Amino acid sequence: MIGLEGLTKRYPGQSEPAVDALDLAVPEGEIVVLVGPSGCGKTTTMKMINRIIEPTSGIIRLQGEDVTRTPPDDLRRRIGYVIQQVGLFPHMTIAENVAVVPKLLKWKNDRTRSRVDEMLELVGMDPGTYRDRHPKELSGGQRQRIGVARALAADPPVMLMDEPFGAVDPIAREKLQNEFLRLQEDIKKTIVFVTHDIDEAIKMGDRIVVLGDRSVIKQYDTPERILSDPAYDFVAEFIGAGASLKRLGLARVRDFALADWPVSSIADGREAALKALAAAGAESVLLLDEQRRPVRWAARSDLSRSGASLERLGTPVTVVQPQATLAGALDSMVSSRVGAVVVVDGRGAYTGTVDMGVIMQAAETMRDAARQNATAQLDPEQGAELERELDGGEAEGPGGSTGGAPDTTVPRR
Amino acid sequence: MGFFDYLVSNRERVLTLALEHLVIVLEALAIGTVIGLLLGVLTARRPRLRGVVLGVAGLILTVPSFALFSLLFGFIGKLGAAVVLPGLVAYSLLPIIRNTVTGLLSVDPAVVEAAKGVGMGPVRRLLRIELPLAWPIVLTGVRVSAVLLVGIAALGTLVRGPGLGELIFSGLRLIGSPNATNLALAGTLGVLVLAVLLDVGFLVISRLTTSKGIR
Repeated sequence: MIGLEGLTKRYPGQSEPAVDALDLAVPEGEIVVLVGPSGCGKTTTMKMINRIIEPTSGIIRLQGEDVTRTPPDDLRRRIGYVIQQVGLFPHMTIAENVAVVPKLLKWKNDRTRSRVDEMLELVGMDPGTYRDRHPKELSGGQRQRIGVARALAADPPVMLMDEPFGAVDPIAREKLQNEFLRLQEDIKKTIVFVTHDIDEAIKMGDRIVVLGDRSVIKQYDTPERILSDPAYDFVAEFIGAGASLKRLGLARVRDFALADWPVSSIADGREAALKALAAAGAESVLLLDEQRRPVRWAARSDLSRSGASLERLGTPVTVVQPQATLAGALDSMVSSRVGAVVVVDGRGAYTGTVDMGVIMQAAETMRDAARQNATAQLDPEQGAELERELDGGEAEGPGGSTGGAPDTTVPRR
Repeated sequence: MGFFDYLVSNRERVLTLALEHLVIVLEALAIGTVIGLLLGVLTARRPRLRGVVLGVAGLILTVPSFALFSLLFGFIGKLGAAVVLPGLVAYSLLPIIRNTVTGLLSVDPAVVEAAKGVGMGPVRRLLRIELPLAWPIVLTGVRVSAVLLVGIAALGTLVRGPGLGELIFSGLRLIGSPNATNLALAGTLGVLVLAVLLDVGFLVISRLTTSKGIR
């Protein structure tokens, strides 16, 4: 889809090229993340794809076509471009910003207009509310959304994203990342994404290119393989400590066996709840409403204290969706008093819980899978060595951040 | 005769001269804006050339207007507006060029890169993005020049130029006669009023022609 062949950038007066004979193929419909330490040339590499920076030598192919010498403005209209500072045109309205490329491509006015509304809805901004506003009236996160909408407006097959979520606060970033991943499931663009943040790379990438100096590819692989089988010390170092923890950010709750927890319906009353607690020999029981939606955690002491109604006693319940990452579930779990987080289905009904046992089991499963994967390609001796290394690596404590979606707390009612 | 009586009885002459004054200032300003904008655009991204152009424009401004008009008369060999107009154009350049450069350089580089990224060529970028964003600053330069020119144009009368200068210099020539003060006062006040009108006028134009998004 995007092919780079021997792509090189030399700046006059510098002995070393900034990008040195890079070969890279980006498959159709995938997000390929370029990640590496600052100054490694990842941004230069990306900017050569739409020729904001002209390569010194090498070939750029787009959908098989050599675009190294096509007029750059024509090329750029076929490539969506999102940058960290967004760069919305402040003197234009939101609608005018989004309409820029369709206008350059001389679309008919009504086609452009309906496309603008479609794009605003796509990025979750109500067209009626925002169409005629100016960029300065939006928050950072909203501007970033408009930046994405502008890049997508003419439906380019390819998008380049240069640290697109780098300038917003961590909570907004998390949200924008999740939204964009959901969006990508529908639009299936071929995307080159630049970041210096390995956690973001792991989260966003279908594949990750770890770049070293002069934009030399150290490893080009799936996030799973990069984490479990870093090709060089350089990659391992770049991933940093806590690879296991990061792997939890890749795994989805739905893919693992959940723990059962004693539950009791509020309608059945206090006695039934106490009975369920006794039967399971657990510390607390999960109270459900009539649609089996979790309402409160109740400990024995809560239940034996008379007075408060079942809807109010105990502690609030933290829930996650099945598509949440294990890292997200772990995060909620650690902050919940019960030591477990409740998994609910799309309608909010109880399906199981994630507790420490589930996490440990999942981590073990993933480690085994990774080990098999890695050793399958090596001779037995190396395999054994690698296995020892992996075991050693696992023993290193946590250090990385946990990704995953922020979870909602069931409100008191 | 009191000043007010003088004004009433000579209102036609005063108004005619004020109009002449305004016209030659606006003409010079129009030409100066075109030249200044062009020079500003051409030199904004070329620091060395910019230094030379701004230096020359600044130098012009230090030449006493009387001297400049005399010099121009020497070159052109004619009197009147033919000398005053190019003189005024020359004086208008510095604020316009400097503000054009400042305005263009103040455009957020991320915005320019985004414009490149969506496939706008250099001319389109300049006309659709950079100049509209620089516009309030450019217009401030034009406004400063306008006020400056109103004052300088009064001296144009020394080379038989049009405008309110004539009243002031008549007053000067007639010192001691009963109407001298009235003449000078009418000319001076006329210049002041024109300056204020132009200043306010350009403020209004700036409000009307600047996008809500950058106000």
